[in-house]
Amino acid sequence: MIRKTNKITVDEKLRKNLPTVEIDPPEKVYITLIEMRLNSYELDVKEGDKVKLGECIGVKDGGFFTENIFSTVSGTVGQIVKKFNYSGKKVECLEIINDFQETKADTIKERTDQEIAQLTKDQFVDIIKDNGIKGLGGGGFPTYIKFATDAKIETIVLNGIECEPYMSADYQLVKKNSYEIFGGLKYAMNSMGISKGIIGVKETKKALLKALRKVQAEHFSDLNCEIIEVQDYYPQGWELELIKNVLGIKIKQGTLLSDYGLIEINVTTAVAIYNAVKYNHPVVERYFTITGTAVNKPCQMKVKVGEYVPRLIEAAGGYKTKEDKILVLGGPMMGANLLLDDAIIAVTNTSILVFEKGEPAEEPCIRCASCVYSCPTLLQPVQIMNAFKCKDIEAIKKLKIFNCIECGLCSYVCTSKIHLTEYMRKAKKLAK
Amino acid sequence: MASKTGFIRQTAPYLREPKANVKRMMYDVILALIPVVCFAFYKYRLNGLMIILTAVGSICLAEYLYYKFKKKPGTLKNGTALISGIIYALTLSDSIPLWAVFTGGVAGVYFSKLVFGGMGANIFNVAGFSRVFVMLSFGPLMQYKVDTVMSSTILGIANKTTAVTTLGNVSLFEMFLGINEPGSIGETSFLIILLAGIFLGIRKSLDWRVPVTIILTVFGLSFAVSLATGGPLLTYPMFTILSGGLIFGAVFMATDPITSPITATGRIYFGFGIGAITYLIRLYGALPEGVVYAILIMNMFTPALDYYKWSNPKFTKRSITIFSAVIIATVILVLVGV
Ligand code: SF4
Ligand code: SF4
Repeated sequence: MIRKTNKITVDEKLRKNLPTVEIDPPEKVYITLIEMRLNSYELDVKEGDKVKLGECIGVKDGGFFTENIFSTVSGTVGQIVKKFNYSGKKVECLEIINDFQETKADTIKERTDQEIAQLTKDQFVDIIKDNGIKGLGGGGFPTYIKFATDAKIETIVLNGIECEPYMSADYQLVKKNSYEIFGGLKYAMNSMGISKGIIGVKETKKALLKALRKVQAEHFSDLNCEIIEVQDYYPQGWELELIKNVLGIKIKQGTLLSDYGLIEINVTTAVAIYNAVKYNHPVVERYFTITGTAVNKPCQMKVKVGEYVPRLIEAAGGYKTKEDKILVLGGPMMGANLLLDDAIIAVTNTSILVFEKGEPAEEPCIRCASCVYSCPTLLQPVQIMNAFKCKDIEAIKKLKIFNCIECGLCSYVCTSKIHLTEYMRKAKKLAK
Repeated sequence: MASKTGFIRQTAPYLREPKANVKRMMYDVILALIPVVCFAFYKYRLNGLMIILTAVGSICLAEYLYYKFKKKPGTLKNGTALISGIIYALTLSDSIPLWAVFTGGVAGVYFSKLVFGGMGANIFNVAGFSRVFVMLSFGPLMQYKVDTVMSSTILGIANKTTAVTTLGNVSLFEMFLGINEPGSIGETSFLIILLAGIFLGIRKSLDWRVPVTIILTVFGLSFAVSLATGGPLLTYPMFTILSGGLIFGAVFMATDPITSPITATGRIYFGFGIGAITYLIRLYGALPEGVVYAILIMNMFTPALDYYKWSNPKFTKRSITIFSAVIIATVILVLVGV
């Protein structure tokens, strides 16, 4: 095939109408202490201490920014253990033994509408920072940094796209929490003095559009917010792609959104902002999807942050096979591969996929150019691969490898089934 | 409980486009070639069939023995040798002796593909290279002696009489169908090849940019000549694109992805180059079938068009300026030649 591809063929059985299951509260949760960009931490609690749900128990530090650590259950602090997280590596996690009381932290209290209306920008940013809110679409970038900008922000774009196939966390959220989405948006707009809000949703998600429009008409008709339908293709959820489609602004890769007077956040993040501002409540649980060819009962559910992966797999009916399978934390295009399921769910994770073995055999490149035609960042993956094979760093840089967003499309489309995206990652490392 | 084993390593993405595979493309091309082969059989009967079988046999055998000798896994399965063989045969004239077909096939695949490292690594289109090899080595044997009046293709006639004014007695429609038109054994029916091309285009098994640019370029240049010389405004351009192996080369040889540039823009320059060179060859030299030469010449430029410092998937202001200048220069060159 020689063509531009931006539609991912999926197995509809693994995507449509997944049942929602209830999962028993966990006996233990594991709170990640080390994360991407956050490589050291300080804990305010020690083994045996009592903690409450939503209590701040320490802080992670990444040099340029920090992030508070929260307990997602009430109970007793256990040991520091090592578990896999979405990085695909074992990292230190704090074990908390659940007392099943769900006693809320003292810091969680409701703010009155009047208090909220009077929040200044700095206070708003502090609330978001204190509640450890970050990009919940999977990006994980600290949200307070986006808002702490000195630039004048005109427009805020909420990303309701969920572009990778098989994921449904945002879908569940928008359907059930439309009110909170608008609430978060309104708080952000008011305190930041932002005049316009936009929510981008795929035109194919009629149920979501309906839910959002209904809430908007009933409660937020005075908010200057527009719900914009965009086409359903991949990677529509990439922020630059979404902004191009909802606002018609072409943003140069590597520049800051704030330079264009823009902020972009995920809808899940907007709900988190609502809860943080209204109740001073950090994120302790989230919507989640488990699917794939190698689990018995693909399903969706609400999980505690810090849940243990084998428990979730069990809730999804267990693995279909004991043989070789591929475990993925995240989406099928960009998710992380786990080599053991001794892993935990972090706040940014949205799905687990388990596939049967099936990496196709590679053939020599026939130079069909599908990878070039399909790359959303207009790179030439095959040429980068060739440059990488010759270790030609100059060429790799000139071919703009650092613009690659690792969306996976080049591997997906390759006629010869070459794993180009992996070459892109290697080339990036080489050129660094 | 956590499982201790049973997981394997793989990296994102975990999905692959099911329809994207080499086999599908190759089968499509073979399918598209079948009507052309049938037409050759209809026109040249056993002789045509023997040429095709010899050509396919020679290329496949050479490739098979080469990898056998090198103790590497065979590569016939991917179908490229078969396709090259058929295409090569279809570019030959029916008067060629079979031993020449065989020699050309073996030498062609060896020098243009195998020594470069096999499929994907060749710079020249294998069929085109073999054809030119035959032409240069055994040129005199390639007489087109089909018609008692014409000793060459219609193209040869048109060139000798220096074109433009004396086209009246050639029926464009007959050329379009190719029923009685002399020429290489598979290159003559414009209609069949056009349909094959459309089929491949719809199946995305060829890149439409290349054939479309080639045809448009030839059409445009001959139109300019018509305008300048006051010849038959549309008849002459139509005649030019209908004659010779132009459409065959454009659909089946120039689109060989392995020997085309890797960007959309590169492929448009590439198509333009083939169209322009074909036309210039027709104008200046008396060589019929300039399209094969044009393709091989542009194959040589492919690495340059792909050179990382100037290859770009999108047109830029600069590339449009340069390209326009080249187009204007070509038009001037053509008009000087008339
Ligand atoms: S992974 Fe990188 S190179 Fe490949 S298509 Fe996506 S952005 Fe382009
Ligand atoms: S790497 Fe794959 S997609 Fe890219 S040109 Fe080669 S065969 Fe085509």
